[in-house]
Amino acid sequence: MYAIECKNLTHYYGKKLVYENMSFNVEEGKILGLLGKNGTGKSTTINILNGFLQPFAGECLIYGENTQLLTPETKRRIGFLIEGHVQYTFMNIHQIEKFYSGFYPNWNSAPYWELMSKLKVTPKQKISTMSCGQRSQVALGLILAQDPDLLILDDFSMGLDPGYRRLFIDYMREYAKAEHKTVFVTSHIIQDMERLIDDVMIMDYNKILAQQPIEQFMNTFRQFNITLASPEREIDLNGIAVNIEKVKDKLEFYTYSSEDEVKGYLNSKGVEYTSFEEKKMSLEDAFIGLTRKY
Amino acid sequence: MFKSVIYKEWLKIRLIVLIALGLSLLALINIFLKVRHDILFVDAANYWYSFLFRGRAYFMVLKFLPFVIGLAIAIAQYFPETVNKRIKLTFHLPVSENGVLIRMHAFGALVLVVLLALVLGLFVAGSAIFFPSNIIDASLITMLPWFLGGLATYFLVALVLLEPVWLFRGLYSVIAAGFVTFFFTSASIGAFKPVLLPLALITLLLSCVVLFSGYRFRKGEM
Repeated sequence: MYAIECKNLTHYYGKKLVYENMSFNVEEGKILGLLGKNGTGKSTTINILNGFLQPFAGECLIYGENTQLLTPETKRRIGFLIEGHVQYTFMNIHQIEKFYSGFYPNWNSAPYWELMSKLKVTPKQKISTMSCGQRSQVALGLILAQDPDLLILDDFSMGLDPGYRRLFIDYMREYAKAEHKTVFVTSHIIQDMERLIDDVMIMDYNKILAQQPIEQFMNTFRQFNITLASPEREIDLNGIAVNIEKVKDKLEFYTYSSEDEVKGYLNSKGVEYTSFEEKKMSLEDAFIGLTRKY
Repeated sequence: MFKSVIYKEWLKIRLIVLIALGLSLLALINIFLKVRHDILFVDAANYWYSFLFRGRAYFMVLKFLPFVIGLAIAIAQYFPETVNKRIKLTFHLPVSENGVLIRMHAFGALVLVVLLALVLGLFVAGSAIFFPSNIIDASLITMLPWFLGGLATYFLVALVLLEPVWLFRGLYSVIAAGFVTFFFTSASIGAFKPVLLPLALITLLLSCVVLFSGYRFRKGEM
């Protein structure tokens, strides 16, 4: 059963194509991380999902409803964290809790006040005077109190120091798994995603490069560091390489193929090397390997 | 849910409402102190004559008060929604998007109407001490376009602020400025009487235009 289904999405800004015929699904109970460089369409996708942007073609469904026409009942099932932890900053923590609680019949203020008790803020302090980290906890607490089935978190790590990022991730992961919540999350800080997500979706300009369980991705996507014997020679390795980065005689070779397959391929092309080793990658390394450095 | 929407809107505008109320009372006190002074030193008959036949209105200090209050309430209510596109939070609430906007707008307009009605009521009560009813009637007919102008200002500023595209905001602002100016055009006492009903109808129609900006925002215009 899918919480989110996007089918054949195509979108342009003016004449600039963002993506064409892009489709993806998010299974219920999974945490999916959307990764992509700036300008690849992450925010566009979030805006389409929240009904704030009408795609040029295609559609996204959340719990079977078109996101452009979500009913209040379905919106009640979606928790939305806006990039930068945007909230009503003219309110204090009591006022904002009172405001939101009126919209959600299952409102559970306990997790909200548990998070607020950790913040060193005065009861009447306006949210506008809080630090970014404190604001992130307010936004997170409100979502937890809402108790939605699906959480859409747009760049949750923006402006947070490492401590608050870790707190946010650990709290979110534990909550989502314990309560069987579906999470769709984007972040610029990829190392954070590694601790949080079940599935990864990596976007490049105009297309999706990968969508699979993160464990599978990290096990099958590999980096080999090769020292070339004849660095001046032109190399055509595009057959099995997803990406290669060459600096003088050093070659970073990114592929979904195994070590034996890569060695066999190099031999068949007559490429000689003096060293060959597989490098263990973090998700960030893998992301850069897949999308290229620039 | 409606209570929650009202609660949020009230938090945004309550300070402005209090300031507007204070300013209005000061303006009214100023008017009637001046009237009392002039009647004492000129004499009532001459004072009424100069109002009725020379168009010397004693309430000119109220002319732009509705405009200022309408502008201030609209900014206090809608500007915070445009910062960081916070209106997304409002549209994400489990209420229909138009429904929540109508409720916000209706509340703002209602507060403005109550405030302006209070000013008018106090003005009539104060005027009744010094003037006969025909002068008060003529005064009200002269002032009504200004008060309708205050409401029109509120509706049009909301349209401008929620519009997502700066170019359109500029365009709407120019049109709105030209339109609102009409309500404050100088004219002799009671001259606006024949157009009061059309002005009221136009103001009523303007109350809905904010929905257009909301629709454009939701469509993703940028």
